[in-house]
Amino acid sequence: MQQIEACHNIVGIPQEWTIDMTGLMNPSKRSCFWKTKRVFFVTPQVLEKDIQSGTCLVKHLVCLVIDEAHRAMGNYSYCVAVRELMAVQIQLRILALTATPGSKQPTIQKVIDNLNISTLEYRNESDPDVSPYVHNRKLELVQVAMGKDAIEINNLLLEVIRPFVSRLCAIGVLHNRDFQTLSPCELLNSRDKFRQAPPTAVPHTKYGEVEGYFGVLITLYHVRKLLSSHGIRPAYEMLEEKLKHGASARLLSKNEVIWKAKLQMERSLSHGAPNPKLSKMMEILTDHFKSKDPKNSRVIIFSNFRGSVRDIMDSLSKIGELVKATQFIGQSSGKTLKGQTQKVQQAVLQKFRAGGYNVIVATSIGEEGLDIMEVDLVICFDANISPLRMIQRMGRTGRKQDGRVDILLSGSCTLSSGMGYLRKQNNSKAVRKHMRNGGMHSFDFHSSPRMIPHICKPEVQFVEFSIEQYVPRGRNVKDDPEQSSFIDKLSETEAELITKYFDASTEGTWIPSLIAFPNFQAFPSPVNRIMHSFRTGMLIDAMQHLRGLSLSVDIKNPLDEGAVSPCQWLEPDIVTEGDKNGKDSISIPMFPQAHIQRDISDEALPPGIRSKEDIYEPDSLAQKPPHCFLFAADFVSIDAHGRVQIASVPVFPLVRKASSNETIKSDSKELLNCMKQDPSPRIFSVDGSETYIHTKPNLTNSAETRCRNQGSELISCLGNCNDRCEHLLHGLESTVLKTPTFAVNSEDNTLVTPDTAKRPPTLFANESSSDCRDVELSPRLTNFMERGVVPESPIGETSNYSHAKENMASISFQCEDVFRHVHPKCSEKTVNNSTVLSAKISNCGVKKINFLAPENVSPAKFCTVLSPNCLNTEGNGKVRMNSGLSSKAYVSASLSDGKIQTPLCTRRNSANARECMSDSPVNEAIHTPLVDLKNSSCSEDWRMSSGEAPENVQQTRKFKRLRKYGDFGGKMPSKTMKENYNGPIKNLSRSFTSGKSSPPKHIGGKQKELFTHAKDFIEEEAEVSSEVEVSGDEEDDKDNSSYDDSFIDDRINPTAGSTQAASGVDMMAIYRRSLLSQSPGDNQLNCLTNFSPDSLQSARPAESGSCFSEKVKYSLQTPQTGLHSGNLSEGSNSVSYQMGLEKNSLFTLPGENDSLQREECKTERRKRKLSFIQVGSVPNPCLQQEGLFQSLATGTTSYEVQPASNDTNRDAAFYDDQFYESLDFDAMEAQAAKLLQLKPEVPTERKQMLNLSPCIEEGHRLNSPSFDLGI
Amino acid sequence: MENTFDPELIRAIFKLVWSRRALERERNEGTENLDGEVGAGTSKKSRPTTANANALKLSSELLRLFITEAVQRTATIAEAEGVYKIETTHLERILPQLLLDF
Repeated sequence: MQQIEACHNIVGIPQEWTIDMTGLMNPSKRSCFWKTKRVFFVTPQVLEKDIQSGTCLVKHLVCLVIDEAHRAMGNYSYCVAVRELMAVQIQLRILALTATPGSKQPTIQKVIDNLNISTLEYRNESDPDVSPYVHNRKLELVQVAMGKDAIEINNLLLEVIRPFVSRLCAIGVLHNRDFQTLSPCELLNSRDKFRQAPPTAVPHTKYGEVEGYFGVLITLYHVRKLLSSHGIRPAYEMLEEKLKHGASARLLSKNEVIWKAKLQMERSLSHGAPNPKLSKMMEILTDHFKSKDPKNSRVIIFSNFRGSVRDIMDSLSKIGELVKATQFIGQSSGKTLKGQTQKVQQAVLQKFRAGGYNVIVATSIGEEGLDIMEVDLVICFDANISPLRMIQRMGRTGRKQDGRVDILLSGSCTLSSGMGYLRKQNNSKAVRKHMRNGGMHSFDFHSSPRMIPHICKPEVQFVEFSIEQYVPRGRNVKDDPEQSSFIDKLSETEAELITKYFDASTEGTWIPSLIAFPNFQAFPSPVNRIMHSFRTGMLIDAMQHLRGLSLSVDIKNPLDEGAVSPCQWLEPDIVTEGDKNGKDSISIPMFPQAHIQRDISDEALPPGIRSKEDIYEPDSLAQKPPHCFLFAADFVSIDAHGRVQIASVPVFPLVRKASSNETIKSDSKELLNCMKQDPSPRIFSVDGSETYIHTKPNLTNSAETRCRNQGSELISCLGNCNDRCEHLLHGLESTVLKTPTFAVNSEDNTLVTPDTAKRPPTLFANESSSDCRDVELSPRLTNFMERGVVPESPIGETSNYSHAKENMASISFQCEDVFRHVHPKCSEKTVNNSTVLSAKISNCGVKKINFLAPENVSPAKFCTVLSPNCLNTEGNGKVRMNSGLSSKAYVSASLSDGKIQTPLCTRRNSANARECMSDSPVNEAIHTPLVDLKNSSCSEDWRMSSGEAPENVQQTRKFKRLRKYGDFGGKMPSKTMKENYNGPIKNLSRSFTSGKSSPPKHIGGKQKELFTHAKDFIEEEAEVSSEVEVSGDEEDDKDNSSYDDSFIDDRINPTAGSTQAASGVDMMAIYRRSLLSQSPGDNQLNCLTNFSPDSLQSARPAESGSCFSEKVKYSLQTPQTGLHSGNLSEGSNSVSYQMGLEKNSLFTLPGENDSLQREECKTERRKRKLSFIQVGSVPNPCLQQEGLFQSLATGTTSYEVQPASNDTNRDAAFYDDQFYESLDFDAMEAQAAKLLQLKPEVPTERKQMLNLSPCIEEGHRLNSPSFDLGI
Repeated sequence: MENTFDPELIRAIFKLVWSRRALERERNEGTENLDGEVGAGTSKKSRPTTANANALKLSSELLRLFITEAVQRTATIAEAEGVYKIETTHLERILPQLLLDF
C-alpha cells in the first residue's frame, strides 16, 4: 500500500491502474485484477502461484521489480517466479532492489544468478545521489554490566559446561578453546563437522554420547546467551523447558550444579530479577521522551525473543503515561505467548501511526517489510544479530530526519557481541569493495537483450507531472466502543427541539407527513447540491397528471409530451377517417398537423383574449341576449386566438338559447332559418377569403340583438357551412368533407382553425339537405354547445342562472364557477409562465374546488393518450374504419353520451386553455368523431348492416370509456403511467361488452320502431332540428350541473380514497366509475356522477375480495346516490324519487343474490356496469322522444332503469332473437378483441354479452314504466 | 469529510434502530415460536447488528449530505414564505422528493 502511494506520488501512476494483492485475496478476484489492472503490487508468493496457475498474464509482463532482492536464494518465490518467467521466453526487465545484498561475494553472486541480473548499481550513504536523502543516524553502543545474580548463574552454568567441553575436547571433536567464549553457533558447526566426518579414533558406540554432549552444550550456551542478553527470566524458562523435555534432560537432570543454577535463578526471579539492561533501556527511553515530544516521537525496541518482549512490556508499563507501548510480534503462537494476527498487527501499526502508541516493542518482524512509520529512536535490546538485520533495524530511523540507534550490550558479552557487530561492519566493507564499479570484476552477469527497438533512441526529457491527490483507501479502523458524549454536546435549544418532536415518553410523537403537500410534489422543489433523481421526476410527472398540470412547456416531461402528442395525432386521423365514412382508408395526416400547429400558435394569445371576453360579458346584461353576447365574445376571443373553437361557439349559442328559453324550439327554428338564410350573405364574406377575420367583424356588428347575434354566430358557422355547401354541391358528402379539410390545409395556419368551423357548417348544410344531416347537426350543435358552455361558465353566472331554473343546486354552480374561474386563470398564467403556473396551481390545490380543475385537466391528457392507444392496438386500417363507423353509430345511438364526452373534453379544454397544444387537439378530435359519428349514424348506421353497426357502436364506446376512464384515472392519485396504460386495455375489453349492449339496443329499436335511438333521432330531427338542440341544451345544462356535482364528489371521494388506499383504487374501480358515469347518459348525468364516486368506493371492497359485500354495498349505494342526485337536481318530487329508490333497492337486493350465484364477482360487476350503461342509453332516447326536458323525469327514469338493469342481469334465462343476432356481433367483437390482444377477457365478455342482451330488453320494458312515473 | 457527524452518534442512532427492530422481531416471532422450538435460529438472531468503522464513516457522510440538502431545500421554502425559521411544514413540503432523490 505504501508503495502504491509512493508510485502515485512520485511517478504519477494513476491509482486506478494499481492494485495490491496478497495471499489473502481470493484467487478468482486476483485473476480478475490481473486482467484489468496495469501495475501490481504483489507478494512473491502470490506472483509465484499466479504464474503457475496461469492467471497472471505472463505474456504481458514488461517489468518486474523485486524488493528485498537479497531474499532471492534457494527456492524462494522470487527465484521460482523469475525462473518461470525466463522459461516463457518473454522480454521483460527485472529490477531488483535491496539494502542488504549479502555479506559475502558468493551470496551476492547467487542473487545475481537467481534473478538474471545483468548490471549492478551500488550506492551507499556517502554516494552523492543518495546522501541528500540520508539523514544522520547516531549509533550508540551502550554497555550494560550484568547483574550480580546473572553473573553467579552464569558461573554456575559455566561450571556445568566445563566437563562436557573437556570431554569433547578429549575426544578431539571440539578443538580446545576457551569454553567461556564458545557460542552455540560454533558448537553447531563442530557438531556438523563431527557428523560428516567423525574422527576415526572414536568408536561408533560413542557417537550417541558425543551427540548428547553437543546437545547439552548447545542448550547450555543458549541459556547462557539468553541470560546475558535478555535476563534471567527467559534463561530460566528455557532451562526449565530443556530440563523437562529436551533430549539433554537425561544428562542434565543428574547434574547437581544445574539444579543449583536453577535454584539461583528462581531465587532471583522471586526478587523481581532486575535486569540492568531493562533499567538502562528505561533510562534511555525516559531521556528520549524528555527531549522530544512524546506525542510526535516514536520509538521501536527490537528484541529477538518474545519472552524479553514481554519483559520489556512489563517494565514499560511501569513508566507511566509518557510511554504508550505495545508489542508487535509475529503470527505464530507459542506456548506461553499468543501471536498477533495480521489484523492485529495492522491495527497496531495504524495506531502507532496515529499516535495511539509511541513505542513499539517488536521482534524481528518489525525489521523489514512492514509499513512501520519512521521512528526517532531504535533500541536494539540484543545486538548479536546478523549485520543484515542490523542494517534493517537501523533503517527504521533516519529516513526523513536524524535518528538514533542505541544498541544495548550486556557486560559479559561485550566482546562477543561487539565483535560480532564489528565483524559485520568489516564484512560489509569488503562487500562494498566487490560492489565497486558495478561489480564488474567480482560477479558474473547475465546479459539481457535490449527491449527498445534500436530505431528508438531514448532521450532524457523533463516532464512535469501533475499528480492527483492520492486517495488513501479506507483502512480497517478498530472499532472503538467508547461512547462519545454527543448527548452532552447538545445545546439547550437543540434539546428542546428534540423533546418537542421526539418525546422519549411517547415514542414517535411526530412523523413527518409525505402527503401533506401534494401540490408541491407536482413541481420540482429547488435543490441545493443533490439533483433530483429519476424517481423524483416520475413522481413529479405523476403528480402533474393528477393535478392536471401537463407541463407541455416543461422540458422535464418529454415523455408525457410525446405520449400526448402522438395521441392527438392519432385522434385527428381517426376523425378524418370518420369523415370519409370509413370508405377511404387513407388517413389525412395534414389535418392533424395543421391543428397542432394552430394550437401552438394559439397558445400564447388565449389569456389576453379571455380576459377581454370576461370584460365583454358584463357589458351584455340582458339575460338571454347575454348568452348570445357571451357566446359572441367567446367566439371573438376564439377568433383572436385563431382557435377552432370559434365555430363551435357560435353553434352553441343557438343551442343555448333554445335551452334557456322554453320557446326554444321556435327560436331554434328561427335561428336555423336565419342561419340558412344568412349563410348566403355570410358566404360573401367568406368568399372574400378573409374567412376568420371577416367573420369576426360580422359577429360584432351583428351583436345588436341576441337573435341577431345568434344569427350572426350561426351565420359565421353557416358561412363556413355555405362554403361547405358549395363543396357539397360539387360532390358527395364524403367527398365534400374531404375537400374542405384539404382546402383548409391549403390555407394558412390561422385559416386552419376555421377547419373545425367548416366542419360544423358542412354539417349544417347537410342538415338542410336531409334529415340525416339534421341529426348530425344537432349532435354537433350539442357538442358545440357543450363546448361553448364550458368557456361560458367561467365568464358569468348568467348561463348558470338558466340552469338554475332547472332547480339545480346553486352551490354546485358556484363551485363550478369558482372552479372554472380558477382554471382559466391558471391556464392563462400557465401559458405566460410555467413557474407562475405552479404557484397558482398550488393555490388551486388549497381550495378543494380548485382541486377539481386540475383533475379535469389531467383527464384530458389521459383521454388523448388512451384513445391513441386504442387506435394503435387496433392498428389495422379496417379496424380503424370500423372504429370510425362505430363512433358514428355510437353517436347516433347515444347522443347523450357523446355529448357528455364532449362537454368533458371541452371543459378540459377550457380549463387547460394554457395547454392549447393538448387541449385543442383533444377538442377537435372529440368534435370530429362526434360529428362523424352523427353523420355516420344518420347516413350509414342505419343503412349499414346491423352487424357493422354493433361493431361501430362498440368501438365508439371504447372511445368514450377510455376518455372517461382517463378522466377518472387522472384523479387517481396513486396511479402511475403504466397503470394508466393498463387501464385503457381493461377499458377496451369492457367497452366490448358495452358495445354488445349497444347493438342489441339498436336492433331492438328497429324492431319495435318505438324507442330506438336512431329512429327517435331521425324523427325528431326531421321535425325540427331545434328540438334536438333544445334537448341537447337541456342535457348539456344537466350535464354541466351534474358534472359539477360529480366533480365535487369525485374530488372528495378520490382524494380520500387515494389517501386511504396508498396503492390507489384498482383499475376495476376506475373502470366501474367510468362505466357508471357513461351509462346513465345525458339525462342521468347527475345520478351518474354521484354514482361514480360511490362506485369507486364499492370497487375497493370488491377488490378486497368479498364479492358479496361489494355487491351489497353497490346496490345500497346506488339508491343513495340516486336520492342524493335527485335532491340536488330536483328536490321537488320526493315521492317519485322515493318510489324509484324503493324499487331500486328491491331490485338490487334480489339481483345481488342472483348475481352471486351466477358467476365470479368480476364478471358480475361487468355485467352490472354494462347493464347500467344500457339502461342509461335506453332511457335517454326515450326521454328525448317524449320531449321531456324536466330533469326529474329523467332522474326517476334513470334510477328505476338501473335497478331494472340489475334485474335483467340476474335473469339469465331471458334470451331474445335480438340477442342471438347480437351473437354474431359478439363474434365480431371477439375478433376485435383478439386484435386488441385482449384474448383472456374475450370469454368473459361473451358471457356478459349473453347476459346483457336480454337485460337490455328488460331495461326497455322497465324504462317505460319509469317514464310513467316521471310524468 | 471533516465536518461530518460523529460516527459514534451515527452508531448510537443505528444501534437504537437495530435494537428496536430486534425487539419487534422478537415480539413477532415470539408469538409464532411460542410453541415451536426455540433452538437453532436464536443464536444468530440474538447477535447484535454491528457496523464496521468504515461503514459508519460512510453512513455519517451520507447522512450529512442528506441533512444538509434537506435543510437547504427547506430553507428555500421557508424563505419563499418569508419566514426565517424552518418549521416542520416546510420540511414536509420537500420531503417526498427529497426521499426519492436519495
